[in-house]
Amino acid sequence: MADRYLILEDGSVFKGKAFGSRATTFGEVVFNTVMTGYQQVITNQIYHNQIIVFSQPTIGAVGIDRSSYESVDPTCKGVIVRDVAAVSINRRRRLSLDEYLKRQNIPGISGIDTRALIKKLRSTGTIKGSIIDPVNDLEHAFDQLRAIVLTNQQVNQVSTPKAFPNPGNGKNVVVVDLGLKYGILRQLSQRDCNVTVLPYSATADSIFSLDPDGVIISTGPGNPNDLPAQVIEMIQTVQRNIPLFAIGLGHEAFAIANGCSINELSSEHHGSNHPILSVITDEIMYASHGQGFTVDPESVDRNDLIVTHYDLIDRSVQGLRHRDFPAFSVQFFPDSSPGPNEATELFDEFMEMMTTRGGR
Amino acid sequence: MEKEIMDAMAMKRALTRITYEIIERNKGVEDIVLIGIKTRGVFIARRIAERLKQLENFDIPVGELDIAEYRDDQKSSAEKRSSEANSSLARLDLKDRKVILIDDVLYTGRTIRAAMDAIMDINRPAQISLAVLVDRGHRELPIRADFVGKNIPTAQNEKINVSVREIDGEDVVLLTN
Repeated sequence: MADRYLILEDGSVFKGKAFGSRATTFGEVVFNTVMTGYQQVITNQIYHNQIIVFSQPTIGAVGIDRSSYESVDPTCKGVIVRDVAAVSINRRRRLSLDEYLKRQNIPGISGIDTRALIKKLRSTGTIKGSIIDPVNDLEHAFDQLRAIVLTNQQVNQVSTPKAFPNPGNGKNVVVVDLGLKYGILRQLSQRDCNVTVLPYSATADSIFSLDPDGVIISTGPGNPNDLPAQVIEMIQTVQRNIPLFAIGLGHEAFAIANGCSINELSSEHHGSNHPILSVITDEIMYASHGQGFTVDPESVDRNDLIVTHYDLIDRSVQGLRHRDFPAFSVQFFPDSSPGPNEATELFDEFMEMMTTRGGR
Repeated sequence: MEKEIMDAMAMKRALTRITYEIIERNKGVEDIVLIGIKTRGVFIARRIAERLKQLENFDIPVGELDIAEYRDDQKSSAEKRSSEANSSLARLDLKDRKVILIDDVLYTGRTIRAAMDAIMDINRPAQISLAVLVDRGHRELPIRADFVGKNIPTAQNEKINVSVREIDGEDVVLLTN
C-alpha cells in the first residue's frame, strides 16, 4: 500500500499507509476509545469536520454491516488506525471498511503509532490535522493546513433540509435533527412511535402543528454556542408544553435554554469507558460518549434544574432535568449504538412521561 | 392464570418518575411528609423518600399508617380508634404539611378514604395527595391518584399482587385470575 502522511497543526508528522479514499483531507483530530462499533462511530454525524483516531489497535475486523449505519452519508473527514484488518470474520459482512471508505470518499491512514498520537492529543487538546500524499515541500502542506478555516455551521450542513417521517402506530414523536444519529430512530421504532423528523430550523409552532406527544432534540456536531438563537427559543417554548428529551448537542442546547453556560473540553471525550452515576437511584451505568463541550456545573441554576447524571471520572454534568416541566436531557448517547445498552431505558422513561403527561 | 405486569426495572422506573413528578408539582420538598399505607405502601414510600434524599439531599419524614381500624367494612371499629397502632404517625407533625399518601394498589378507594380519616384524626395537613404504584380501576368512591406508576385496567375477578423485595424477596407486579 502507498505511503501517506498525517500532519498536525503543531508541526508533527506521522508516516503511515493509505487505505480508503486517496483524497487529501483536513479536520480536527479527535480520538475515540471504544472497543467495538467503529462503523457506528464513523457514520455518526457528530464527527462532521473531524478526523477520528481509534485507540483500539485493530479496526475493520467485522467489515461494514448494513444495519449499523448511524447516517446514510457519513461526514467525518478521515480515519486513523494502528492496523486495518484485511480479513473480516463477520459472516454478515458484505463490505470491507477499506471499500466502504473508498465509496464514501473518506481517506484512512493505518500504521500510525496511535498511542503516541493520542498521548500528544491529550496534551495539545483538539487540533487540526491533515492526511496527505507524500510531498517534497512539507512546509507548503503545513501552510495549507494552518490556513484552513473549518466551518462552525456544522448543524446547518448535516441537518435534514426537509421533514421526513418514520411511521409507526404508537406515540407521536417529533425529532428535531441537529445531526441525527439513527440509533435514536431505532429506539423509537422499537417502541412503535410515529416519528416526524424536522430540520434544526423547526419553530415551536411548526412542532405544535404536528400535535406530538413528545419531542426529542437530537445529537449533532459542533459548538452549542454557535447554534442559532431560534433553536434555543424553540426549546424554551416547547419544554413548557410537551414532554422533551434532549441528547448530546441537544442536551447542551437544553442547558443553554435554561440559563447554563457551556465550556469547551480541553480534550474531547469519545468512548464508552466512563461510569455514569444516576443520582436518583445511586447506580452507575455505561454508555457511549462523544463530547467536545460540557455544561459548566457552576452555571446550573438549582432552582430550575436538577443534575440527574454525573461522569464519575471527570465529574462532568451528564444529565439534567427541569424542576417545573417534564423535560430532561443527557450528554451521552442513550441509544447504545455503539456501546452498552443499559441507557436505552431512558427511552422507556420518555415513553412513560408521554403517557402520563400526554393529552395536551 | 398469572401474568407479569411490571418487572423490577419497570417498578424502579415508575418510582423514579413518580419522584420527579412530586418535585415538579411541589415547589420545594421541605413541607412534604410521605405516609405509606401498611404493608407494602410503607416500603414504596421509603423508596421514594430515598430518591428524594438522593436528589435534594433532604430527609423527608416517612410515616406508617395502619388503616385496619378505620375500615368501613369491619364492625366496631370506633372503639379501636384510640389504639396504639398509629402512634408512630402521631409523632409526626402533620399540621400545615403536604401529605402524600402512598399505597401499592388503588382499587375501590375505600382504603384511601380510611387513610384520610386516620390522618384527619391526628392533625389537619395543608394538603393530602395520593401516589400509587398501580391503579386498577373499579372505584366505589370519588377518589383519584395524583401520581400513578401504571394504569392497569382489570376485571373485577382478577387480582393484582404487588411484591416488594423487602418482604417478598423480589420486585414484581402480577395479575392473576
